[in-house]
Amino acid sequence: MLERWMNAKTEEGKVLGFLQNFFLLIAAFGFFFYGVEHWVIDHYMESFWARWPFYVSMIGFPLAIVMFFTTHKAVRLPFTIWMVVSVLTGFAGALLHLIWNANDLGVSLFTISGLLESFQVPYRPVLAGLAHTHVGAVGLVVGLTAAVKESSSSSAPPHTAPRDTAVTRTERNAP
Amino acid sequence: MIPALRSATNTTARTLEIVRVVLLLLILGAFVMYPVELFIIGHWLDSWESLIPFWITIPGVIFTVWIFFDRKTPWVRWAFIITMWAAIVTGLVGAYWHWIWNMEDTRGIAWNWSYAMDQFHGFRPVLAAMAYTNMGVTGLACIFRAR
Repeated sequence: MLERWMNAKTEEGKVLGFLQNFFLLIAAFGFFFYGVEHWVIDHYMESFWARWPFYVSMIGFPLAIVMFFTTHKAVRLPFTIWMVVSVLTGFAGALLHLIWNANDLGVSLFTISGLLESFQVPYRPVLAGLAHTHVGAVGLVVGLTAAVKESSSSSAPPHTAPRDTAVTRTERNAP
Repeated sequence: MIPALRSATNTTARTLEIVRVVLLLLILGAFVMYPVELFIIGHWLDSWESLIPFWITIPGVIFTVWIFFDRKTPWVRWAFIITMWAAIVTGLVGAYWHWIWNMEDTRGIAWNWSYAMDQFHGFRPVLAAMAYTNMGVTGLACIFRAR
């Protein structure tokens, strides 16, 4: 992505390159940070599925870093697929947190009060799971647009001829 | 953003506008969902500071929707940019105060590593507040050189 940004020739190409690199940085930072966060808060229990978000981060981070240096299909495709995995992980995590909270409290998720109570359990935050969805979505935007080739010309309107002002008329008529 | 997407004449411009629209949709979703979440978890205390994250979402939703259709009008651009900066500051200040209040509820303010880290993962989530910073930064990136 960095090379595409540096080699961009049109205004749109430069801004697109900047945004792709910026959002790739957010995705890389998110994967690194959530990996550390999962380790710090002990989201590393005996079950495989409890460790799954940690694995998603640990694979997502190096993939995002490699994407900075090459957008070759062999990297782009696994990166894009992994971003979809991250999006789904976030949704599944939020849903599972909600179900487990309801089970711990002994309430039904099909009642308003049960749903609200299950949302409010502080040690298993429901929406925190969606952080992986966010990171994955941002990375997915980069992955899906990384292969787009830069158009040779800008879509901005061409410069119009300078208006025939009094100053230019004076200059033209000058001896 | 949408008029620019519709009038884009080449692939690069179209891709650029698609990236902007998708990221702006993410921000809009966040500005709608966060007040709902804050309401559910009871972030509606007596102090006026606890209401700031609610108030900021009002211009957040309005100007994010507006910017989808009109990013040329100078005052709309400025209102959007100022709102995004306000979201950034709200996130940073919120994270700081969550951390400080976690400490005050325990053994007071102290910055030795193990104690500070314990309070970082205390009752009030420090990083959760920075979601607003993330939204603000993303919004500024979307409007960057978008004319």
